[in-house]
Amino acid sequence: MSALLELTGLEIRFGGLRAVAGLDLSVAPGAVHALIGPNGAGKSTVLNAISRFVTPAAGAMRFGGESLLSSRPHQVAQRGIGRSFQNIELCGQLSALDNVLIGMSTHIAERNPFWPSPARLRNERRERDEAMRVLGRVGLGEFADRPARQLDFGRQKLLDLARALACRPRLLLLDEPAAGLRASEIRMLDALLVDLVRRDGLAILLVEHVMPLVMSIAERITVLNFGEKIAEGKPEEIRRDPRVIEAYLGRGVDASD
Amino acid sequence: MNERIVLGVVGLAALAAIVLPLPIYILYVGNLLLTYAVLAIGLDVLLGMTGQFAFAHIAFYGIGVYTAGIVGNRIGLSFPIPLLAGAVLAAAVAFAIAIPALRLHNIYLALTTFAFASAAQWVFRSWDSLTGGVNGLRLASTPLLGWHVVDDRDAYPVLLAVAVLMILLRLGLQRSKLGRSMAAVREAEPVALTSGIDVRRVKIAAFTISGFFAGAAGGMLPLFQSYVHPDSFGLETLVFALTIVVVGGLGSLGGILVGVIVMGLLPEILREAAVFRELIYGAILILSVTLMPRGIGGLIIRRGE
Repeated sequence: MSALLELTGLEIRFGGLRAVAGLDLSVAPGAVHALIGPNGAGKSTVLNAISRFVTPAAGAMRFGGESLLSSRPHQVAQRGIGRSFQNIELCGQLSALDNVLIGMSTHIAERNPFWPSPARLRNERRERDEAMRVLGRVGLGEFADRPARQLDFGRQKLLDLARALACRPRLLLLDEPAAGLRASEIRMLDALLVDLVRRDGLAILLVEHVMPLVMSIAERITVLNFGEKIAEGKPEEIRRDPRVIEAYLGRGVDASD
Repeated sequence: MNERIVLGVVGLAALAAIVLPLPIYILYVGNLLLTYAVLAIGLDVLLGMTGQFAFAHIAFYGIGVYTAGIVGNRIGLSFPIPLLAGAVLAAAVAFAIAIPALRLHNIYLALTTFAFASAAQWVFRSWDSLTGGVNGLRLASTPLLGWHVVDDRDAYPVLLAVAVLMILLRLGLQRSKLGRSMAAVREAEPVALTSGIDVRRVKIAAFTISGFFAGAAGGMLPLFQSYVHPDSFGLETLVFALTIVVVGGLGSLGGILVGVIVMGLLPEILREAAVFRELIYGAILILSVTLMPRGIGGLIIRRGE
């Protein structure tokens, strides 16, 4: 099957620093691909390139067979790529529901706000219903009207995920969705991500340090170190790879962490 | 919904009926407050709703006054054409400078837009043949359907109607998709971008709408003022409008309307104590920033939570 997301020879520089060096990575439709590596390995930078926040110095990025380089950042969501953030980015003053509605921007039309026509009210109700379904999916249904900043940390992470899901993506970019979550929350996240892949056919590119989650849901793992790919393979291969153990797992973070 | 509309109309009619027989001075102050309200709401569209610290607002206010004044003086067109001309020209200029200015952020945006406002004031001061330069510009009385708006009593209901329309426009903006996108840009630009919101377009729209409000506020002046001077479009007025928005509460329409009443009445109350005026302004600003960082509107919301 042809890849949904395909990065070839991706190179990203910040001044003299080579943050990502010649990375090849492809994500098949409906697959979970994990991108792991020590802090500063360039994982978030890869996501930022796909989101078009940074422009690569060299290499190609194709999504659904077409180059991503011609898209501006806001067009990436329109093409079917949703994204969550490592440091929670939310519209704190707005309600959880409004955050999800912001995530739905790509399929909400601008309409006359001055006249409460039946068509407008019907569409608004349909959009609210869809946003409520997405909130319900991550288990935040009862917090719809709560300002986002009043939610606890774990729920803010889930809201960030709901907002990313709201654009009806084919590919989700998740930047450490499990960081700082409690074990029970990670189990719930695990089940949710599996459900998104099996039921909705979503593909996920997952940057994550929480190894049990990575080993549980990833079909393939790419390991970055200092911007270079040092290994790629199935979870059991990666677990045994000596270079990975040396660069990453060997340094106090072991696979059963 | 319909009940609220009826209540609103009855309330406004009552407001007009109560205020109209009052002494002319009170009506003058009322007219000033209505103008400040439109000016401050427009500033808040950019500052409070969209989170962009741009300070060209005062220039758009000036463009509104001079355009409306000149169209009124030279062509003598009936209300609301001079006002609309001022608002539309101010919006057009805002749109034109938004495109380059909004590539900048934070302090750079603030400085650049303030520089533009200073340049605009220099134009008002120097273009003698059009603006009257430092001698100021006499404003002819505004014709309205074969009748003339001569004094503050005539102007009050007209200005009240304009202010109410602008408030409705602001409420519609808040309810619209654009309003929600503006909030997203204010709260978290990366979220807005990855959600598919064209952040640049939203900022340009906010800038243009904000300019439209400032121009409309300027266009309200010729209805009750007979003279305008370029000194009115400098730093002092900008700080005054900013104070209204900050004391009232960024992004809070109700708070800003209270801010307009408090800050707008102060200079009138302090007429006898002009020496202390700046001092008292400063004290109010400091107290409000330290004691209620989200302004009067913030207090209202906290009660509600």
